Amino acid sequence: MKQVYFDNAATTYPKPPSVSEAVKSAVVKYGGNPGRGGHAYSMNAAEMVYSVREKAAAFFGAEPENTAFTLNCTHSLNLAIKGIVRPGERMVISSMEHNAVARPSYALSKQGVRVDVAKIGRTDSETVSNFKQLIGPDVSLVVCTAASNVTGRLNPIREIADICRKSGVCFIVDGAQACGVVPLKLSDGMNFICTAGHKGLYGPTGTGLLVSDGKYSLRTIIEGGTGATSAELEQTGFMPERLESGTLNTVGIAGLGAGISYVNSVGMDYIKSHENELSGMFLDGISGLPDIKIYRDGEKFVPTVAFNLAGIPSERLAGALSEGGFALRGGLQCAYLAHRSLGTLPDGAVRFSPSVFSSAKDVLLLINYLKKICKTGL
Amino acid sequence: MTYTLISVSSVTYAMKSKTVLNNLGHYCEIERQEKNSRTGCGYLIRIKDDPSVIVPILERNGIRVRERKTVER
Repeated sequence: MKQVYFDNAATTYPKPPSVSEAVKSAVVKYGGNPGRGGHAYSMNAAEMVYSVREKAAAFFGAEPENTAFTLNCTHSLNLAIKGIVRPGERMVISSMEHNAVARPSYALSKQGVRVDVAKIGRTDSETVSNFKQLIGPDVSLVVCTAASNVTGRLNPIREIADICRKSGVCFIVDGAQACGVVPLKLSDGMNFICTAGHKGLYGPTGTGLLVSDGKYSLRTIIEGGTGATSAELEQTGFMPERLESGTLNTVGIAGLGAGISYVNSVGMDYIKSHENELSGMFLDGISGLPDIKIYRDGEKFVPTVAFNLAGIPSERLAGALSEGGFALRGGLQCAYLAHRSLGTLPDGAVRFSPSVFSSAKDVLLLINYLKKICKTGL
Repeated sequence: MTYTLISVSSVTYAMKSKTVLNNLGHYCEIERQEKNSRTGCGYLIRIKDDPSVIVPILERNGIRVRERKTVER
């Protein structure tokens, strides 16, 4: 049976043909280890890696040397969060964080870091006020997702960044759901943007980015060979090599470069408007269904919709949709805090998330299938 | 022929140096440093243009210059 993919918040699929081509070609063309020698194979790979680094940096308004390649957004967030905050200090995270933020924070709390949770309010001004109340002189770090991976709600990160800047507090943004759909730049005021390469940037899995404004030097949680300062046992002190121990994912980076080029060529305005149109169509189509619950408090959203239907456990509904040919994710989407805030524990919600490749025709098919479930039950 | 070898600390800085200098019309090449510095392996920018012009350009662009050597051949 043909499967229609609406789980792009987990990872985008399909990828643009240019990404597949770049990956295939990289396996053949870039056999050397970048930054690990002076021979042509190594230099050739290093040139490609640097060209993608430049492209990624430009995408976020950063310098290439402050743009590190990672494995995924979780990896980036762990490097950034654990690189900043120390036992005895205090940090603030939002109530809608993914486990990529919540779990490192929880682990740090067991090492003596005090973690406070700022509630995402009904309005942006309420959210900003909640953060403001918690950010005091003893806070060394604030982390907030740019957009919820459950509801798609966009958070007022510029305003939160402003509070952090005035208070001299480091601000890390989880850009996993927003990057590639809405513009996110260091000039918005954050010190670090952590993001996945395989979601809105349309790169392959196994790619992520940590983008810094260069104001904070991160303590490391992984040390090793960087191709630089090799005569010292102390980890390399400068970016990006400081955070890039071990051989880079050259093939993935080539694919990520093609993904960023794709987003640049199509344009985020088009991507956002196309996906918003589809999520708007989906919302219109399901909002009249009996016993539908849509989690949509807020002002601005990326095109992700979380819902539950007729008291059916979300995993069961997602299973039924999969049997009908629709790939949507049920459960908690690795976001315990978010579901606790939404009151959707323990069963979570079903998440609809289109991509630039999704079609209105497929959204209508999904709506009709949900209508059928409403009529006939599971 | 005179040229200068400018040592930078990593391949990223070497690549950035090449991009910055090429964009300003200063042709250069990257090569592996044959003799390691105190801190270990690194890369060199080989350039014919005046180092008193080149080094400040690199430094303005945040590139760490470790050392430089002018070679006459």
